[in-house]
Amino acid sequence: MKMKKSLLWIVVLLLSIAMVAVFSLAGCKAKAAAEEEAAAEEEAVEEEAVKEEVEEVAEEEFTILYVSGIADPFMYMLGKGAKAKAEELGVNFLEAEYAKSWGPEAQIPILEAATAAGGIDLIIVVPTSTEALIAPLKKLYDQGIAIITADCFLGDGDYSVESNYSFPLAYVGTDNKLGGLQIADHMAEMLGEEGEVFIQNTNPDTSSVVARGEGFTEGIAKYPNMTLVGEEWCLDVQQTAQDQTATILQKYPDLAGVFGVNLFSAQGAYQAVVNAGLTGVVKIASWDATPDLINALKEGKVDLVLAQKPYEVGQLSVEAGYNYLANGIEPDKRIIPGFEFFTAENVDDPDMQQWIYQ
Amino acid sequence: MADITITTRKNGLQKFFSQLGNRWAIIFLFLEIILFSIISPGFFSVKGAQVILINSPFILFLSLAETFVIISGGIDLSVGFVMGFSSVVSAKLIVAFVGLGMNDLLSIIVGIVITLCIGIIPGLVNGILVARLKVPPFIATFSMIGITHGISELLIKGSYIRNLPPIAGRIGNGSLINIVPGKTVSFFISPTIQRGDQLIEILPTVFVIPFIFILFFAFILKSTKFGQHTYAIGGNVDAAIRAGINVKTHLIKIYMLSSFFSTVAGIMYVFRYVTGKADAGAMFLLDGIIAVVIGGASLYGGIGSVWKTLIGCFIILVMENGLRMLGVPTFYKLIVIGIILIFAVLIDQLSPELIHREE
Repeated sequence: MKMKKSLLWIVVLLLSIAMVAVFSLAGCKAKAAAEEEAAAEEEAVEEEAVKEEVEEVAEEEFTILYVSGIADPFMYMLGKGAKAKAEELGVNFLEAEYAKSWGPEAQIPILEAATAAGGIDLIIVVPTSTEALIAPLKKLYDQGIAIITADCFLGDGDYSVESNYSFPLAYVGTDNKLGGLQIADHMAEMLGEEGEVFIQNTNPDTSSVVARGEGFTEGIAKYPNMTLVGEEWCLDVQQTAQDQTATILQKYPDLAGVFGVNLFSAQGAYQAVVNAGLTGVVKIASWDATPDLINALKEGKVDLVLAQKPYEVGQLSVEAGYNYLANGIEPDKRIIPGFEFFTAENVDDPDMQQWIYQ
Repeated sequence: MADITITTRKNGLQKFFSQLGNRWAIIFLFLEIILFSIISPGFFSVKGAQVILINSPFILFLSLAETFVIISGGIDLSVGFVMGFSSVVSAKLIVAFVGLGMNDLLSIIVGIVITLCIGIIPGLVNGILVARLKVPPFIATFSMIGITHGISELLIKGSYIRNLPPIAGRIGNGSLINIVPGKTVSFFISPTIQRGDQLIEILPTVFVIPFIFILFFAFILKSTKFGQHTYAIGGNVDAAIRAGINVKTHLIKIYMLSSFFSTVAGIMYVFRYVTGKADAGAMFLLDGIIAVVIGGASLYGGIGSVWKTLIGCFIILVMENGLRMLGVPTFYKLIVIGIILIFAVLIDQLSPELIHREE
């Protein structure tokens, strides 16, 4: 009985320590943020007062929130670009939590929590589903918040035609279909315009990767001696991609090329090829210039990498949003930064290094 | 004289611990709310509460399912994937019915009814395995994870279900009462509004539905013969048999009930996210079990209640959403919940009732 009691005291003690530790940790962060905010506000108030004296026009402060799709190098890069531009333009920039997994059930709660406190003028969001994000984003739009979708879009991505998903200001992101088409051309060139190819895709619910697959399919169809043997969906899990590609390699021993539509599918695909001892025999084209894929390119495990420009996507999103908020200028419905190709020849080129996601 | 004072003091302390054992969860919840209100701007607001409630249905339903199973002395690991299974089945059915030219709302209703009937089958199988064939609940329900997950993946061929009618999303993202001042009032379904209109929302639909279930089943568990038998079986199976309770049939009913709740959770998922997904419930399964244990139920059976589970759920929900509003990674939640779970079990073992039972 006595032992139990002392044990109980220890439990109570530990409980209180743990609680104090955790909350002071969280508290510090919040306090620091609050102090910063307060300081910024003070500054703003002072500035405003000065300005009012001078020209009697009070400038409004804007707050932009970035809601990413998943914690990966592309999304971090996009956030960095957006943050840099926001600082340049002098607008407040907030980042919501980077989700652990890709999908609406992870993203929507984050989106809602991040907007609960209010005070947000523009949301830059990478919608993880073409359908599931429509209702919650529409709700925020109806409260007067402007929406820009970056990298991925809602519905079919055409915001210029009136529909239940046409409310975002703009889509800022790569022309995924064009990228897919050009990858098909590069693949054809590498393979001498003949052979069997395969698409290792991720999510049929995500606009960007679907368009890449469509572009590649169309591109390959132009070459009469090339056949597309299939398209698999790994749902953004690298291990699944590896298993799926391994199965395809078994089924089609003459397979000549694989297109991995993003880093998870490309990394899974090349790993399967390496494991089968087919490095260099089966060509791998991949999307997204992550350090891992660039290294794989240097090692000869990957043959082609398309680099998007996430930093620019972030910058362009903030710029378009700022112009709309501050000056009422409606941006283009589609804002498309270009892309670059990394090959074994140009991977060490100093000019190309800026396109690697850091 | 001295002796007497010591004894009374001992009794006082014992009382204190016994009270702490019973109440620490609710005290912790209040502390949590107070702390987040202080450190997180915008947390203590109508909007903040809405965010917590709108994210609550899955953990509420899954923990309600576990409450019954755990009190009866078992455990149901399959709830998360039964939820995914039913989200896939209902979404597929609704899309199919709409495709056949049926009215949107009618398709949804028929789809739900059929899903509810299909959704209790995993529970029936679990129940028969556990009660009649004496398979340990852990193994029986663990196999059901694989079976339901596999079937759902086959149904959707490793993808998602698309093209659900937009009305589904409006129900899942609407509130009990939606008021656009001076214009419209709607119930359960979010209204179509013009940009800039003020929208007042009272209680998210996806919280109202589980809450009605909670009210009803809290009554069932506490005040009906069904509930009393559940406690009796969990407390002491042999005694329950001697008392003339049909334990086998009762356990089958419990597992079917658990499956039923998981199925409703899956249907809620379809409304909230306008899609069906095979692993929809994977991230809610553990939270569901943890909420029950934090709420003070004993994993040995016989102890627990729906209201205590509700407190456990809100400890997790407040933690998760509070951290999100702060912008702190929710990884902290995993650590804190882990620590709380250990305490919950330790306090459970130290509680006087259990000590007496051991003696």
